[in-house]
Amino acid sequence: MINHHPDITTLMAFSAGTLDEAYSTVIATHLAMSEAGRETVRQIDAIGGALLTDEPEAAMSDSALDRLLGALDDEQIDVGRPERAPNALPLPLQSYVPGGLDAVRWKWTGPGVATADLPTRPGQKSRLMLLRVGGGRRVPEHGHGGQELTLILQGAYRDRFGVFATGDIADHDEDVEHQPIAEPGPDCICLVAVDAKLTFRGRLMRALQPLFGI
Amino acid sequence: MYAFAMTEITPGPAPSGPPTDDPTALLLAVARERDKAALAALFSTFAPRIKSMMLKLGAGDALAEDLAQETLLQVWRKAHLYSPQRGAASTWIFTIARNLRIDQLRRQTNKPYEDLETLELASDAPLGNVLIERNQVIERVTAALKLLPREQSEVVRLSFINDMPQSEIAALVGIPLGTVKSRLRLAYERLRPLLEDLQ
Repeated sequence: MINHHPDITTLMAFSAGTLDEAYSTVIATHLAMSEAGRETVRQIDAIGGALLTDEPEAAMSDSALDRLLGALDDEQIDVGRPERAPNALPLPLQSYVPGGLDAVRWKWTGPGVATADLPTRPGQKSRLMLLRVGGGRRVPEHGHGGQELTLILQGAYRDRFGVFATGDIADHDEDVEHQPIAEPGPDCICLVAVDAKLTFRGRLMRALQPLFGI
Repeated sequence: MYAFAMTEITPGPAPSGPPTDDPTALLLAVARERDKAALAALFSTFAPRIKSMMLKLGAGDALAEDLAQETLLQVWRKAHLYSPQRGAASTWIFTIARNLRIDQLRRQTNKPYEDLETLELASDAPLGNVLIERNQVIERVTAALKLLPREQSEVVRLSFINDMPQSEIAALVGIPLGTVKSRLRLAYERLRPLLEDLQ
């Protein structure tokens, strides 16, 4: 049961196609885990459909239709339903974490806290990473340099907004400060997208410094 | 700025024309019968509108036309994957054009939208025939979009049609990002009862 959903304006940006790679990957991964979220996006997509029917017409060249019809016989029909990759992760995440979570090479970021950067296309304004917090451990209180999306892949954490468990997403803007504490039990593993200008890891390191003398 | 375009959407007085004008019926004819005449009819409705949308990205005339052509080619290739239960034909065609726009401009290696489509296909749940309702929803949403306060419809159009991230809309319009989001939220709340009729 998913209790925490993305902000509606984040889903609108996803439907419009204007999210950066890292943010769109987190949202797509969340939607892969949430039928309710997919239904909401299907509804929002209708805004695009309505706007498209309302667009003015820009004349196509005279030969365009003939060229289209002429090309049809050469077109392959897409075969749908490709097989699922043998990976337990949600489909939109699989290409970023090809070996699954067990194969991730974690970087120690603080006591009980580790991160792993996931490669995205160069020149993006956002960064994609995994965050692992040991059961009962806390992530130091931190603010956000921009929008931060955190999707729980495994385990759970608690902060002043409640308990976030598998499939839940925390969609925070730059005004939010919070201090997540992993629930007792297995590691809490999250997929995180942050504004690239201020990396999550960098902010975490800064936040950890006075506490742990790193 | 869009006022002139809004007057010429549906020729004739009838809100829903004969079956052959209905985009969803045309798309199903393409899917089931490989009906080239139906594809040509979809082309005449959608290609000039997709081209208009692509021109707003700053694409040149030739590129905008290529992207419109490629959208219709994908309609031909993927028509059998279309399910009217999931949305009106115009919505489905919008998502194809949007995905092409992303591929063209961002050249992302990931395919989040295609991944979700794959998931949807894998979890096909039988649904009732809601074909007419879907098209009525689009007509109602189109009408409702015109009734939005201008400041709300502006941010919605800049987002969905002009492909502008919310931070760029804020810079263009000269308002804080939070105001862009609150206008989008207000617009959604206005449209929401209509969109939820999709169910």
